[in-house]
This record gives sequence, C-alpha cells and structure tokens, in this order.
Amino acid sequence: MLLKLAITGIKQRFRDYVVLLMGLIISSGIFYIFASLAINTDFIKANSGISIAAQVFMFGMVLLLIITMVYVSYANTFLLSMRQHDYGLFMMLGAKKQNIGVLMVLETILLGGVASIIGIILGIGVSSVLSQFLFNQLGVTIHHFSPIYGPAMIDTLTVYVVLFALAAVLNLSKLMRTPVLKLLHVEDEATNVRVRPVLQALAAVLGIACLAIGYYAMAQIMTLQLTAIPIALVTITLGTYLLFSAIIGGVLTAIRKSRFAAKRLRTFTLAQINFRVRGYTRILTVVSLLFAMALGAISVGAGFQRQIPTMVASISSYTISIKDETPNEAKLAKQLHVKWQKSYQQTIQGDTAYYNEAAFAKQPFPMLANPAAKNDGRVKQFSLPEFKKKAIISSDFLALSPTSNHIRFLNNSDFNNLKGQKHQLTIIRVHSNVQDRKVLEKITASQQRRFHEPFFNLGGGYSGFVLFNNLFGGLEFMGFFLGIAFLAMLASCLMFKILSGANKDVVRYNMLNRIGVSQRLMKQAIWQEVGTLFIIPGVLGIIDVLFGLQMFKPLLYNPYEIVGWTILGFCMLYGLYAWLTISLYRRLVVPPMQLSK
Amino acid sequence: MQTTPIVDVKNLQKIYGAKKEKQYEALTDINFAVAPGEFVGIMGPSGSGKTTLLNLLSTLDVPTAGSVRINNQEVSHLKGKQLADFRAQQVGFIFQDFNLLESLTARENISLPLSLQDVPRSKTVAAVEEVAQTLSIADLLDKYPAELSGGQKQRVAAARALVHHPAIIMGDEPTGALDSKSARELLDLLSNINQQQNVPVLLVTHDPFSASFCDRILFIQDGRIKQELSRQGQARKDFYGQILEQLGTFEQ
Repeated sequence: MLLKLAITGIKQRFRDYVVLLMGLIISSGIFYIFASLAINTDFIKANSGISIAAQVFMFGMVLLLIITMVYVSYANTFLLSMRQHDYGLFMMLGAKKQNIGVLMVLETILLGGVASIIGIILGIGVSSVLSQFLFNQLGVTIHHFSPIYGPAMIDTLTVYVVLFALAAVLNLSKLMRTPVLKLLHVEDEATNVRVRPVLQALAAVLGIACLAIGYYAMAQIMTLQLTAIPIALVTITLGTYLLFSAIIGGVLTAIRKSRFAAKRLRTFTLAQINFRVRGYTRILTVVSLLFAMALGAISVGAGFQRQIPTMVASISSYTISIKDETPNEAKLAKQLHVKWQKSYQQTIQGDTAYYNEAAFAKQPFPMLANPAAKNDGRVKQFSLPEFKKKAIISSDFLALSPTSNHIRFLNNSDFNNLKGQKHQLTIIRVHSNVQDRKVLEKITASQQRRFHEPFFNLGGGYSGFVLFNNLFGGLEFMGFFLGIAFLAMLASCLMFKILSGANKDVVRYNMLNRIGVSQRLMKQAIWQEVGTLFIIPGVLGIIDVLFGLQMFKPLLYNPYEIVGWTILGFCMLYGLYAWLTISLYRRLVVPPMQLSK
Repeated sequence: MQTTPIVDVKNLQKIYGAKKEKQYEALTDINFAVAPGEFVGIMGPSGSGKTTLLNLLSTLDVPTAGSVRINNQEVSHLKGKQLADFRAQQVGFIFQDFNLLESLTARENISLPLSLQDVPRSKTVAAVEEVAQTLSIADLLDKYPAELSGGQKQRVAAARALVHHPAIIMGDEPTGALDSKSARELLDLLSNINQQQNVPVLLVTHDPFSASFCDRILFIQDGRIKQELSRQGQARKDFYGQILEQLGTFEQ
C-alpha cells in the first residue's frame, strides 16, 4: 500500500522529479569527469609539464566536493519538500514513523545511487566525445587519458551515496521532529525582508576587503607561491558571499522606492529578484565561483593554445626543411598550406657544408628579424654580405647541416666544381602547424627514416611545435576540458535551483493572471527575474577571472591577450543555458490565460 | 426606470469534458442581471456551480454557450491583450485566500493594478492613500503581508480590488478565512463602499451571515438558479432569518 502511494506521489510530481533527477545526473556526471582527470596521477604526470598541476587539481577536487555538498543538500531539501506532504498523509493513514523513516532513507539513497550511476555513464559519454573533439581541434596528443577510469567511477559512486545517506539521516531527524499536521500544511512562511543598513554596510566593506585580499594574493603568486591559491579561494568565496548579501538587497530596495519602479510589473519583478537573491546567496556565490573557474580554465587553455604558435613562430623562420625530396615527399609537400617555399643546394665535404653564394643572392634566405630575447616571430630577408655574417650564428641555418662543423659560401663556379655529397634542400613555411600537423608528421617521419637524424636535430618550427605541444598541450587540454565541464556543472546547478523554486512562483503568476496582467508582461517579468539571477554571478565571475589570470603570469606571456574572446564565447554558452532555463521556467510558471477552451 | 445593467448574463451554459468523453454540465441556462450599485449574492452548496459561474464572469473560464456582458461589453470572446485589459480595468477581485504577493509591501500590492496601466506615480500615490483611508489601513501600508493579520490582509486585498475604480467588484468567499469580527468588519466596509461609491458587488458565498449584507440573493443548485431572494428594505437581521429559512427549505 505504501509503495503504491509512493508511486502515485511520484507520478503526480513527475515534472519535479525529472528536474531533480536531471540535476543530480549532470552533477554526478561532471564529478566523474573531473575525478577521472584529477585522480589519474599518471595522466597528470605525463601531461602537465609543471609540478604544481597535481596540487591545482587537488584544490579543484576539494572545491568541487564542497560544491557537490551544497548541491546535494539543496536537492535533498527539495526532495523533502516534495515528499513531506505524502509522508504526512501516510502517517494520517496510520503508517508508523519508523516505516516512513525507512521508506524515506531508502528512497533518498536509491535516488542518489541511480542518479550517480546514470551520471557516470553520461560522464563517460561526454568525456569521450569532448576529448576527441578537443584532440582534433587542438592538435595535441594526450597520454594516459581514458574516458573510462575505474577509480573515478568508484569515487563518484561513493561520494554520492555517502552524501545522500548523510542527507537522508538529516532529513529523517527533521521529519521525526515535525508534527503530522505541520507536514500536511507546509506553507512557506514568507521570509521577512528587513533592511539593516549598518550591518549591510559592514558586510559590504568586509566583502570588498576580502575580495581585495584574494585578488592581491593571486597577483603575488610569485612571492606567495602555492599558498596564494588557498588564500584566494577562502577570501574570494567569503568576499563574494558578503558582497551578495549586502549590496544587491540594498540596491534593489533603492530602485524599488524610486520613480522607475512604478511602471507595469517592475515593482513585482524587483521584489522577486530581491527575494530570490537573498534566498539564493549561497548558490549565487557558488555559481560565481564556478563561473570564474570555468572561464579561468578556458582562458588559460586558450592562452596556451594561443601561445604555442607564437612560441613556434619565434623559434624558426621556416616550418620544416626537406632534404633530397623523394616523389612521395613531394606529393605530401603539395598538400601543405604553404606560406613560402625556397630551394637551395648544399655540398657536404668532410665536416664542412658548402653553399652557392649566388643562390642566396637570387633567392634570399628568410631569417628571424630579431634575436631570441626580443623575438616576435617576424621574418626578414638580408642582403648577401649581411646574410653571410648572420648565417653562421643562425640556428635555423645551422640546422640545415646538423653534422657539419663549418660553413663555407662559394661562388658559382667553385661550388659547381666542388666534389662531395650533394644535397637538394627545400625549406617550407606553412600557415598553421595545427592545420598541417598530420602531413608535417608524415614528412618528418620519412626524413628521419632516410637520414637517421634524431627528431630535434631536424630544425624548423615543426619540431618546436611538437616539443611545446608535449609540454603545454596537457595543460591546454585540461584547461578546455575542465572549463567546459565546470560550465555544465554551474549551469545545471543554477538551473536546478531556479526550476526547483518554480512551485512558489506558480501561485504568484496565477494571481497576476487573474488581476489582468498580460502574457507578454508576465513573460517579460520572467526574463528579467531569471535573467538577473544568471547575470549577477556572471559579472562577478568575469571580475574574478580578470584578477585571477594574474596567477598565470609566470606561465604565459600575456594571459590577458585573448581573454575578451574567451569571455565572449563563454558568455554565449552561458547565455544558451540561461535561455534554456528561462524557457523551461516560463513553461512551468506562466498560466494559460483561461482555464478551458 | 430602465437602466443598463452592469452585469447581464443570458442563457449561460458550461459543460466540462470533451465531446466524446464523459461530459458534465456544470451550469445550465443561467440568466440574471446586476444593476448599477447593486449588492448581489450567489449562494449554493458545494458543487452547485458557484465557482464555475464566478470563473465565467471574471473571464477566467470560457462558457460553452450563452453570453456574459459586463459594463456593456461581451466578455466571453475576449482574447489576449483585450482580455488582460478587461481584467485589469473592469474587475476588482477579492479572493478567499487573499492572494497578496508576499514579496511586496501592502502599498506595492495595492498599487499593482495602477502600475499595470502606467498611471503616473503621483496619481498612484494619491489613489492608494485615498483607498487606504477608506479601508482604514493607512498605517499598514509599508508592512509586508506576513506581518499582517488575516483581517488586515483581506482589507489590503479589498483595497487592491478597489483602487482602480473597477466597474464591478467580485468576491469569492472573501470572509471564508476570517474570524467573525474581521468578517463583519469587511462586510460592513464592502456595503459602505457599495452604497457610497455606487459600485456593484457580486459576492459568492455559502455563508448566510455574509449573504445577509446583500440586496438580492441568487440560490444555485445543480447548475441552475433555483430561487431568488430580495431584501426589499428589510433590516439585515430579518433578512438573515429569511435566508436561513430559505436554506432550510432548499435542503429539504
């Protein structure tokens, strides 16, 4: 009988359960994805290139755990609010409290278990698609990465079941203390919104101080080293929370009292936002942090992606050199997107490499314009005498004859009469290493086979590209991967919280419909109300990131170089989530104008 | 003298359920009118069709057949913006459970119908003050609904229904959630406003005490108007007795 009642209960609130389950599945999926990277020590060691990556991941893991706890506690409050009326009814019908307790604990743990298993499966799917996509886009090779990672599965399942068991016990004690009648009539007592100016001002000042400390700590990462990260985490979290609770309420109250508010539904919308922001302080803090982390991770990933070509360009004027091109190599070279291509002849005699002066006069050899330290990757063609002076110290030029100790330039006739090993050299610069990486790899492999040269003796930008990709590709990949994962977590967190609050709003919008508020105005109000809930943490998150990128100054030339574009791209994705949430919310909340047709 | 009625209901019918399914006729051939300044009560037991009738009058539901004219306007075919405007301008509604927005202060709740019509702020302020004086809630204006008693909440709700001077006030068991003292106060207020401002009031109730404040009472049973009772200048106490008597015979 109880089971039948329980099933009916679920049927009636099917939509709410779908929201709840979806939220939990996404959250556990993301937890799994993160865990599959963070606890895979082989992967981190093999790909990070820098030693602090493992610690960064541990901090990330701790943070994600905290966020998950907040998330699960919200989910359970929501679950209890959905179920308590039923539980009350069961007790009215004579069910014992113990039976209800067992039912509730079982329900909760089952929900957590099912959600996390589906979440893990989803996580595996997303992880394989996303990683394949990123590998192709970024042109990096990642070692020891696998979407299916046993320990991460066990960890995710354990964390969720334990958290749900804890939540069930908490819910149980709450349930046992509540009288049956109260369970049957759970009216939300309206939270009293009172403005306490002194306290709020204090909170605002304290919040700004905390944020300042956090941002300063991140900027001083060189002196503070690793301690900067926990300092920043604590102060920024606290600062964001304080600022939210202090400022938003005050500002909204001020707007409400102004002339602006007295139009159409504005008073209502402002009051709704005020109400929400106060109730949502915790989740908005979490969201703004997640937003910052996701955007930060993507910015850093993009920074590395951006940095590799710059570094590659400054290493060498050309991308590859091909010695004595075979027909097959020539065919491959035709597939390249060539920026420029030059050919020279070379004669090796003993430990000296000889070149024909005339060839360089006719077809100057492009060299890097500036020496290493100041180099910006520009290429210049020098006059013959100047070239001859520079060539003997240019690593680009020296790389063309890796086994020779000396270089000589001869005039045309001397060169033609010279005996020795003759070689035809082709040097090519392509537009993009990433674009042509597969062809470049084949040509290089063929050259290596034929001349038995070690890879990095080949010279040219491509070898540098491979080197840097090995060094930074892992970080780049982690940045993008985690950024997108965090974004999904953040969006589902906020979406879930907002959708789960829809029940209370249904009543309000019903009333508005009765007193003659048009559908258009109601939809507009929802856009404004829910949109604001997305915008506020977004803005704070962007500010966090702008300061947070200070941390990466030791790693990147200019972490801010393309942050504008990453923010734009990120905001588009975030906007998509906001739009989805708003449309769903509207469907849940705005009543039809008339009951039946 | 023949005056145009504020509410004019003709051959009203409401059937629930799609054509091929099991149908249920909630209202059958309802005809009545409310004259300007009249205080009309609609009484009937649970399931008699009171709420359906009120929903049709307040345009919340659509009739299957027949016409509802309010203030010379056929309302059963209104749609979209016209419908919203009609609700916002012509009808003042008082609900049993107050239906105040708990996130707004009393003042903001009362101003809502005026804000919806983009009435200038200065006019809104004046109108709210005026209606608050009439309902003696001037000192409660800056409180939130959660800080008010049931009676105070209902007076705020009444103020919201009155502030934009609607053509008619409709009440759906407005005293249902009030104690007897607050209920009497509210009914006194309603009949005062009805008499002084000449606003017609349509009250749906099953409580004979509330009904005794009306000028005329329509008794509905099983979707039909079964009986009509006029006060005709009787004292309220006497009318109350008459209603009780009527209800008694009604249930036989």
